[in-house]
Amino acid sequence: MALSAVTKSVSKFTYNTFFKRESVYFSTVVVGAVAFSIYFNSAVDNWWDNRNKGKQWKDIKDKYVKPAEE
Amino acid sequence: MALPVKISASVINRTFFSTPNTTAAVKAVGATAAAKFTTHKSASKSSAVSITSASRTITNFTSSPKNIGYQQRFSSGFAAGPGSEKVPSFGDYTKERTNDSSRAFTYFMLGASGTVVAATAQSAVHGFLMNMSASADVLAMAKVEVDLNNIPLGKTVTIKWRGKPVFVKHRTQEEIDEANSVTIKSLPDPQVDADRTQTPEWLVVVGICTHLGCVPISDSGDFGGWYCPCHGSHYDVSGRIRKGPAPLNLEVPEYTIDGSTMVIG
Repeated sequence: MALSAVTKSVSKFTYNTFFKRESVYFSTVVVGAVAFSIYFNSAVDNWWDNRNKGKQWKDIKDKYVKPAEE
Repeated sequence: MALPVKISASVINRTFFSTPNTTAAVKAVGATAAAKFTTHKSASKSSAVSITSASRTITNFTSSPKNIGYQQRFSSGFAAGPGSEKVPSFGDYTKERTNDSSRAFTYFMLGASGTVVAATAQSAVHGFLMNMSASADVLAMAKVEVDLNNIPLGKTVTIKWRGKPVFVKHRTQEEIDEANSVTIKSLPDPQVDADRTQTPEWLVVVGICTHLGCVPISDSGDFGGWYCPCHGSHYDVSGRIRKGPAPLNLEVPEYTIDGSTMVIG
């Protein structure tokens, strides 16, 4: 059950690219936090919209507001 | 001293075991035991004051020091015996990782945790800051729509906007010319009429006197604009202060004109 060569090279590359220098490491964490928050927010929004499909104003707006009026 | 190499767990737990009594060590141990015995005897005598004679007979035993000398206490390291310094192999229990991948994994887990923590902190701060901003109903009330078709030429309409009066003046061509003919340098608060209007026909000013906050009266005063009854400030048809104690021109709010609809705010 030896470690595969791919895992070894990937871990070495990741360490040398992102973790070796503290500045790069910190920047990676910050950028990752921004990306993660965007991804997480949109994922939760999508989940919420999907769960409440047909109940929200944007779903039923066509029944009450004529498009020509706006 | 010949010791058994393999020692059972029960022996180790007891931490002592029997040795042959043929060596000099046994004699030394015997001497120690004899001394201990003497001490013990005297102690039992002094403590036996309140004890009955029968129990005193039992406690006042006599025994040979030789009987104790067969046992010796060893330190646990010594008890492990020769040959026990060999470290057993833990290969079956160690993880199958190189140093590189293990280090990368550790840093990855630390960085991922930091990422989630940073995103959470950002979200919390964002929530607190958004809590301070205006809510949707306040924003909806912050704008006022005016239908310009309802304001005839030469008339001034007063509109309530954010709790304040706003004057919308539909100016005639004479009034526009008059506003432009003023010598700018002679004004207390010099401002060109073009800077105060988007289109010359429509003048929009906040109806609060810049002196002490009274509401001026429209279409009155010496200059055809506004007159503040509180302390006698005169504004012209461009809303500029011309005479009186007010220091500044009437404030122009933000507004947009789209066809015949004006949106203030």
